Amino acid sequence: MKPEAAPQDPIRVVVVDDHRMFRTGVKAELMEVAAGRLEIIGEAADVDAAIAIIRRELPDVVLLDVHLPGGNGRGGVDVLAGCVAVDSRRGRPVRFLALSVSDAAEDVIQVIRAGARGYVTKTITGTDLATAVCRVADGDAVFSPRLAGFVLDAFGSAAGEIAEVDEELDRLSAREREVMRLIARGYQYKEVARELFISIKTVETHVSSVLRKLQLSSRHELTAWAMGRKLV
Amino acid sequence: MPTPYEATLGPSAPRMIRPLAGRRVAGVCAGLADHLGWPVRAVRLGMIALIVLGPGVVAYVMLWALTPEAEGSADPAGGPDPVAERLGGGDGPALVLLGAIVGLLGLAWIGQRSGLDLRLGVLLPLFVIAVGAVIGLSQLDAARRNQWLAGSGWQTAIRLGLGVVVTAGGILALVTRDIPISQTWDIVVAVLVVLLGAALLVAPWGVRVMAELRSEQAARARADERADMAAHLHDSVLQTLALIQRQSGDAARVATLARAQERELRTWLYGGGASAPTSLSGALAEVIGDVEGAHGIPVDLVMTGDRDMDDGAQALVRALREALANAVRHGSPPVSVYIEAGRSGVEAFVRDHGPGIDLDAIPVDRLGVRESIIGRMTRHGGTASVRRLQPGTEWTLTLPPPKEPAHET
Repeated sequence: MKPEAAPQDPIRVVVVDDHRMFRTGVKAELMEVAAGRLEIIGEAADVDAAIAIIRRELPDVVLLDVHLPGGNGRGGVDVLAGCVAVDSRRGRPVRFLALSVSDAAEDVIQVIRAGARGYVTKTITGTDLATAVCRVADGDAVFSPRLAGFVLDAFGSAAGEIAEVDEELDRLSAREREVMRLIARGYQYKEVARELFISIKTVETHVSSVLRKLQLSSRHELTAWAMGRKLV
Repeated sequence: MPTPYEATLGPSAPRMIRPLAGRRVAGVCAGLADHLGWPVRAVRLGMIALIVLGPGVVAYVMLWALTPEAEGSADPAGGPDPVAERLGGGDGPALVLLGAIVGLLGLAWIGQRSGLDLRLGVLLPLFVIAVGAVIGLSQLDAARRNQWLAGSGWQTAIRLGLGVVVTAGGILALVTRDIPISQTWDIVVAVLVVLLGAALLVAPWGVRVMAELRSEQAARARADERADMAAHLHDSVLQTLALIQRQSGDAARVATLARAQERELRTWLYGGGASAPTSLSGALAEVIGDVEGAHGIPVDLVMTGDRDMDDGAQALVRALREALANAVRHGSPPVSVYIEAGRSGVEAFVRDHGPGIDLDAIPVDRLGVRESIIGRMTRHGGTASVRRLQPGTEWTLTLPPPKEPAHET
């Protein structure tokens, strides 16, 4: 592949997961539904191999398992820490999409705060996963309904706490809350857009803004609270 | 009186244990009576007689030290914890013991005065030794042993130290009773030096034994846990895997089995208090499990907040079950459920991706939708509505907050 890839070239993906069967399955599924759009260029089974291959191949998107052997024992968080400021061949930052079976809030919140652009569960369908990968490659955030529910809970939005100013980091704005609620209800981005009479781009902006709050907020629920509670 | 050795050889006699209930001092007499099938009172009188004569003290202490204590609590209805009571929580037995000692001392003094040779020089030190042993060895009672092993507390150390000092004093008095005071000091120093030497020799060994004992306990706990896990995996996961292998041709059935197993395992691994059936979340998880199991279609549940179950919540759960059943029957996956429980009540959304239903087209005799969902919610002060989306149908159920202030969850 040429070093300066054109935007219409397939998105280059690295799959990081310690279960070989799962890697094989994800590859087969993605190739089946999105052969032209995506290209799996490598895989890794532990933290060190993942960091090595990401630094060598400079992919666009990394599908990152939350639980991995090796490194400092923190799994996906270690991979994220080892790949700070690595750019893909397109010249954009390497994006990470966290994949997990655990749904434990502490795991999810840790990889998101370490820099992952989204979180999906491993039961996601191939089509949805391909969409999520494309979205993350474009720099947008991907929230599963569960992550949206968790965000509503953690920011107190479910209990009615609403930010007065959009810039406030510890609470969601009314619009962000609406978007999160619709995602939690199982709406796709385009359905959310139709429901709120806004463009898909605006929905993506709101979700990215929530992701930023999730990563930067010092709201204690996000750290302490997440440890003692599971996202199931 | 038969020795414990003979007694334990008896064919039908139960193993001697010291019961927690009905004990006066340490449960030795009660246990012995139980074991031999003799009346407790007779055994107690005999023991007191033996103690007065001398050898009883040693016998009692030995029996106490060598007989295990009954496990568990005495009887569920019986007042304060007998162990705590004996160790000072209740004063009854301790006072009886003290009274007995003082009384015996008085009797002995009177006997000596009236010319009887009770060999007080021997008896008194024996008493002292016995008291020291009682104080020291009481640590060995089952109820206290765990605490002791866990290395807790200066109280234990003081008790043990006191016991050792009193016992040592008694032994010293017994050994040095014909020796003048001036020489006694030499003996004391010699004994202390020997004890210190012995302690130095024994201490590392004792520490190691302790450490081994603890690590053995930890290992056993781990092994138990692993056995527990293995048993659970065998009962659930392996059985499901076997079922899946046998029905591998039927994709829908395999998916259902895998999904049900996943849910069960998740509950087992991460569950706990959160899914108690007394909470809304627990009841909902149960309903969703049922619906998934019955129809074989996965349902995604997302819930924020929680609420205690009451009449309204019960109605919501039932209506939601009906809406969900409709969604999996007439709609198509993915089916998602989102519930937001907060101070302003509960909002629940059930969404599928099917062709959608038309409320007006539903025959009036179809109780399902009108009565079970809409009627039920209205009766409990809530609302229920359905609307068509581009693909699919979405039910919205709302429930006002409970009338009396809800408990914080």
